[in-house]
Amino acid sequence: MQESQHGVELRGVSRIYTRGGEGVKVFDDVDLSVNAGAFCALMGPSGSGKSTLLNLVGGLDRPDSGDVVVGDTFLSDLSESALAEWRSENVGFVFQGFNLVPVLTAFENVELPLLLTGLSKAERKEHAMHALELVDMGDRAKHRPGQLSGGQEQRVAIARAIASDPGVILADEPTGDLDFESACQVLDLMGRLHTELGKTILMVTHDPRAAERAERVIHLDKGRISESSEGTESADDGFREVKPREGEGA
Amino acid sequence: MVPFKLIWRNLLRHKLRVLLTAGSLTVAFFLLCVLQALVVSLDQGVKNASKKRLVVQSAVSLFVNLPASYQGKIETIEGVEESMKMTWFGGYYREPANMFAQFAIDADRMERIYSSVELVEGSWEEFKSSRMSCLVGKETAKKYGWSVGDRVPIVGMIYPRLDGSEWQFDIAGIYDASQEASIDDLTMYFHWEYLDEAMEAGAAGGADGIGVYSVLLSDGYSQAGVGALIDGLFENGPQRVQSTPEGEFNAQFVSMVGNVPFFVGTIGMGVLIAILLATLNTMLMSGREQTRDVGVLKALGFDGSAAFWLLLTQSLLLCGVGAGTGILLALGVEGPLQALLGSNFPGLRISSDVLAPAVLLAVAVALFAGLAPALRARRLTVIEALREEA
Ligand SMILES: Nc1ncnc2c1ncn2[C@@H]1O[C@H](COP(=O)(O)OP(=O)(O)OP(=O)(O)O)[C@@H](O)[C@H]1O
Ligand SMILES: [Mg+2]
Repeated sequence: MQESQHGVELRGVSRIYTRGGEGVKVFDDVDLSVNAGAFCALMGPSGSGKSTLLNLVGGLDRPDSGDVVVGDTFLSDLSESALAEWRSENVGFVFQGFNLVPVLTAFENVELPLLLTGLSKAERKEHAMHALELVDMGDRAKHRPGQLSGGQEQRVAIARAIASDPGVILADEPTGDLDFESACQVLDLMGRLHTELGKTILMVTHDPRAAERAERVIHLDKGRISESSEGTESADDGFREVKPREGEGA
Repeated sequence: MVPFKLIWRNLLRHKLRVLLTAGSLTVAFFLLCVLQALVVSLDQGVKNASKKRLVVQSAVSLFVNLPASYQGKIETIEGVEESMKMTWFGGYYREPANMFAQFAIDADRMERIYSSVELVEGSWEEFKSSRMSCLVGKETAKKYGWSVGDRVPIVGMIYPRLDGSEWQFDIAGIYDASQEASIDDLTMYFHWEYLDEAMEAGAAGGADGIGVYSVLLSDGYSQAGVGALIDGLFENGPQRVQSTPEGEFNAQFVSMVGNVPFFVGTIGMGVLIAILLATLNTMLMSGREQTRDVGVLKALGFDGSAAFWLLLTQSLLLCGVGAGTGILLALGVEGPLQALLGSNFPGLRISSDVLAPAVLLAVAVALFAGLAPALRARRLTVIEALREEA
């Protein structure tokens, strides 16, 4: 697997939801820059737009204005289908609810994104088993999600996210539904994706201990972004407004 | 494209529900095939009737006979190739319950006028050579165990023998009229002269004259044109006639069966609507349950058309298996069905006229039931799909 070449940049991004005629500004002219290979935690109160930010970066949602740039791709330039194709090559998602396909085995779930590549059946098998072994689930390849614990399911989901070797991993509260021990295993894994595989990781979390694993913590509140660069040892200070900075980014 | 096992396993996610829906489809399509076969059987005498034949009857009623002398006059008309007498005999074999159709005809002309009737036993020569000879349809022959050479007694109700005895007929041939839409395989044809001579000799009672004339047209002449000429010839009596294209003539008998096609059509429509709604319900539920899967697939980079086919293929499979089983079942009982209903519905078959609409209907049901969830899956965004509670 290759070290990520994918920095992430938001340039003057606004996202406004209209609800009952009234506009809800989730983001208003926000700038953010994340280096390739960085491990960022996203924190903030409920409704502050953490998921919205991940969706914008992953090309699941489009900004009302501004640009989302991942690597050297301007996502707004891509059509819906081009975006889907781009996603399959560049982004791996990990969700709070695991979201494995229940009728498929762990192996088949991990193989799913590989079906969109030109890999042969044998190559797909090799890649999928490799990813499963990386998350220590190789021996559960033939199990269905219903036969796995939550922690195991999430590890399979992580294997699926990295199976096609994307540069960016987007994780939305990956430990939200897990007990302490499983959460630790998943966080360890996220750390390894960063250190060993060099993925660019954006991870939403409510858990300060989870955020500690990241090298950078970005706080979202009321449509603004602020951050503390070294974990969350101080909850109240050390934040600063993020200004668009030259040199950071892809 | 999504892998087939995903489609298949999602379809079987709720085994009982799918089984019940497929079972309903099976029953419905079995019924639809059988009902359609009945309608086709009634229709085919009308639809496949020869465009080259006319039936000439009394303008008053089918039950009023025409003079035998009309035959020669009809044959003087341009466009008439040949004609044949046909008089309804109305008899039964041994017991009134053994009623079947018999016609007194011109034995030497039938071979040419109904040229697609085939003899599977015996020969036209044998039939023509003796007054007492008759031809019997293969179904009736099978029913009573008759074969060529047998002498069969028939009681005449319209033409009773005055000494109370039965008419005797010698079977000279057994025919197969599956290529001839206007003739079923149940009827007996015998020499008109045999009947006529008995009546002349005072040995039998009944009305004089000829029931109808079956008229074969020369090449290049139309039923309407020649029919008008024939009708015109007898306009001033002594007895007026009505010439009808053979198909229309046959249709009278279909409408005499009452509103069978209408009833059958209504029942079929009801069955169809019920199964349509049941299948739609199943597919809508399936579609809802797979919302999250669709979201996941799209997040992974599968496009809208993959999501569309995920759902539509399930509907096609469900209907294919369910309806397919029903259609196969109908094919399987074709034989017993013919034995049961063949005498009322001649030529009853699960033919391509039955199968083609059934297959089309199955596809239509699959599209109707699958399109709504498939289109929804195609439209659904990842965000909407994953927000929805599974
Ligand atoms: N489809 C939508 N229509 C209208 N408003 C929306 C929609 N999606 C999100 N919002 C609003 O946008 C804001 C940000 O939502 P988002 O889901 O990004 O928050 P979040 O930080 O992920 O919250 P949580 O921690 O609860 O997951 C919220 O106020 C939410 O109500
Ligand atoms: Mg969220």
